[in-house]
Amino acid sequence: MVKAARGTMKASKILAVTLGCTMLLSACGGNANNGGTNANANAGANENAAAGGNKASGKQVTLKVEVFDRGNSPAGSTITNNYLTKYVQDNFGTPNNIKVEFVPVPRSEEVQKLNVLMASGSDVPDIVFTYDSGTFYRYAQQGGLTDLGELLEQHGPNLKQFLGEDTLAYGQYEGKQFALPAKRAHLGKYSSFIRQDWLDKLGLPVPKTTDELYTTLKTFKEKDPGQTGGKVIPLGMSLAPAQFEPLLWSFIKPVTEEQRYTLTQQLGSNDYPILLPGFKDGLQFMNKLYSEGLMSADFSLDEDKKKLNEDVTKGLVGFFSEDDMNPFYADLMYATLQKNIPDAKISSVDVYTDSEGKHPKPEYAPVGLYLMIPKSSKNAEAAVKYLDWMASGDNLLHIQNGVEGENYTLENGIPMAKADVTDEIKNRIYNWGDMAIISNGKQLGDTEKNVEAYVLNMPEQYREETRKALSVSRSDTIKPVLFDRPIEAQAKYGTALRDKLNEIIVKTTMAKPDQFDSTYESMLKDYMATGGQAILDERKKAYEEMKK
Amino acid sequence: MNLAVYLRRYWQLYALLILPVSYFIIFKYGPMYGILIAFKDFNFFQGINGSEWIGFDAFREVFAMSDFYKTLRNTLMLNFLDLLVSFPAPLFLAIMLYELKIVWFKKLSQTILYIPHFISWVIIGGIVYQVFGTQSGMINNIVTSFGFDAIPFLTDKNDWLITYLAVGVWQSAGWGTIIYLAALTGINKELFEAADVDGASRLRKIWNITLPSLKPTIVTLLIINLGHMIAIGFERPYIIGNTAVRDYSDVLSTFVYRIGIESGQYTLATVVGLFQAVVGLVFVLGANYTSKKLADQSIM
Repeated sequence: MVKAARGTMKASKILAVTLGCTMLLSACGGNANNGGTNANANAGANENAAAGGNKASGKQVTLKVEVFDRGNSPAGSTITNNYLTKYVQDNFGTPNNIKVEFVPVPRSEEVQKLNVLMASGSDVPDIVFTYDSGTFYRYAQQGGLTDLGELLEQHGPNLKQFLGEDTLAYGQYEGKQFALPAKRAHLGKYSSFIRQDWLDKLGLPVPKTTDELYTTLKTFKEKDPGQTGGKVIPLGMSLAPAQFEPLLWSFIKPVTEEQRYTLTQQLGSNDYPILLPGFKDGLQFMNKLYSEGLMSADFSLDEDKKKLNEDVTKGLVGFFSEDDMNPFYADLMYATLQKNIPDAKISSVDVYTDSEGKHPKPEYAPVGLYLMIPKSSKNAEAAVKYLDWMASGDNLLHIQNGVEGENYTLENGIPMAKADVTDEIKNRIYNWGDMAIISNGKQLGDTEKNVEAYVLNMPEQYREETRKALSVSRSDTIKPVLFDRPIEAQAKYGTALRDKLNEIIVKTTMAKPDQFDSTYESMLKDYMATGGQAILDERKKAYEEMKK
Repeated sequence: MNLAVYLRRYWQLYALLILPVSYFIIFKYGPMYGILIAFKDFNFFQGINGSEWIGFDAFREVFAMSDFYKTLRNTLMLNFLDLLVSFPAPLFLAIMLYELKIVWFKKLSQTILYIPHFISWVIIGGIVYQVFGTQSGMINNIVTSFGFDAIPFLTDKNDWLITYLAVGVWQSAGWGTIIYLAALTGINKELFEAADVDGASRLRKIWNITLPSLKPTIVTLLIINLGHMIAIGFERPYIIGNTAVRDYSDVLSTFVYRIGIESGQYTLATVVGLFQAVVGLVFVLGANYTSKKLADQSIM
């Protein structure tokens, strides 16, 4: 008896050790298995999906969904537990026996954090997303994503119809639907703004071309109409695309389709005109403005527009370009400026002019976030169902606008936010933009309505200028270039080159005018050597093959 | 004494060792497994084991990058200048503090000198922009109010170097005095009394008593510092640096961050990390050997 018990003990010890070893082994082996052939992994996913769909078993599925954390949760709610997460749970989760769990990722380091999450394998959410197409392509290329074509067909009819083919095309990699890009409601990007009260004070007209703008900026500097005590910044600049892109793109000369396809460089999600004819002239203009003291002196330190925002609201800036609606939100730039300087007036204007008299500026691709389901996810079906749920009925309307009658009223089909509501009601939808992941901006059926919805949700006194800004940002736009295949070099070098582009802009702008040429030459050479050439070569090849 | 008896007698000491040893195994030796990434075409969906071997291909790729040499040069340059400026600073401070005779004033000065060490670099970065900014920085407001041109402390690369070094001294010098002060308390007071009897001046005492007593500490710290020549903290150059001075502020750690974490090229990042570790080891052993030969002081 005693002997037998000892025997069992020994056996259980051995078992424990073996178990431990197997767990270790399987921990390593598990990764290797993930690398199995597509067929295997797909079979696995289907099996799992079947299991997930089997309600009879009564086993609750936990669906993990990434959510951006901007650190702006109002008191009483957190990013993972608020009105909208409860709405999702009550209306989608509970009826389908799914527990929806949100995994916060800080907005400012989404790509870095996502890389870490994806690399961890086991802990990764079932729905992840990024704005960066390069990151999406890299994941797809490395075989880390679930092919969604079949799932979308079976479980996402509403979603498929909502997104539409143009948008879905951006989520394809080598013919397979590896991501579902969110649909963008409004494609306009940038508008420019000028201090109307300064113009009026000096009796100047609104500048209509880049040359006129230059004269106006000089006058701002000399006359200092804002009485800033010599601190006037005629042109507000930063190292963010919203400030330098409209200026630089307006210097690009007319190009052929081939030039547009091959010479554009896509870094991250934006197209940049680095190799297009005229780019150098744009930099030269910036150099001129800088050396004559017409531009923010510390723009090179200002990658997040904080300094620009501060300067504008202090009433130091005469003219600047910015994301079309940004200045007009309640309590933000314009409102703060008027609080500091009650007479201040901002006009939305379209000034930067190209050689043909147009005002070209880039527009967004018709996509927002790239929504992806990692291959390791066991809940791909539930994930697609979640997105389909969001696209069906008035769920999206609810997530974006809250409760009808409490948060908003419908006027001509446009939801109008009610102004006089308690904070509690207002805070329900404080992060609607980050929860309504299938859409970028409010979706009401057509662009004009979407734009009008933006306008009507601005403070009343700013609506007219917002409407103007939104039409500026949509005129003479340049569409992003979409190849029928990903450019691998862009995924590889994109991030590093984006930093180099900043360096090109800063160095050439701040160079002494007589050293501009040599600075430009050496910077561009460095850029090409760090990957610019590789991108150019690949785009040329891709273009040739596309034209075959 | 046989082993069993020995272990039975001293087991408490070995038990005490368990924590530090497991720390080193878990956090220092365990991650070394990851070095394999440098020799593999790392695909993070397939894990380290599942990725393919590529031999030294990644090393070739890194050594062909011009940015690698630029960041390597900057790392060595910033560290060397830092060694020149920041290494002696705590020594001087410690000797000055040691010479202070008023106790409350000495304590107060020490506390004030320590404070910057506890401020995170992100906050220091914010302060630096407020103080050294070209357009609205505190110093430049004063400079321009006297009618001089603003000094581009942050946007001209040579001026930036001075800013970088000065901020480093401000942040670390006070804290660095601790080790020296501890060593100074070990000096036999009789030496000073004897010197007083001989009529030695204060400087003479510092030169002939204080400094020689500190020599082993100085040498040890120097060796450790030299070992770090090739490694550089991430936060200081990343936060104090900016696009305009990238020629100097781009260092190996920010380079690794950019290609590894931002671009997801983990293989290349690991190669750079491994390179740093190997060169660092050479520096430490070299410094140790030299000091053993020249001064008969060493840490190994």
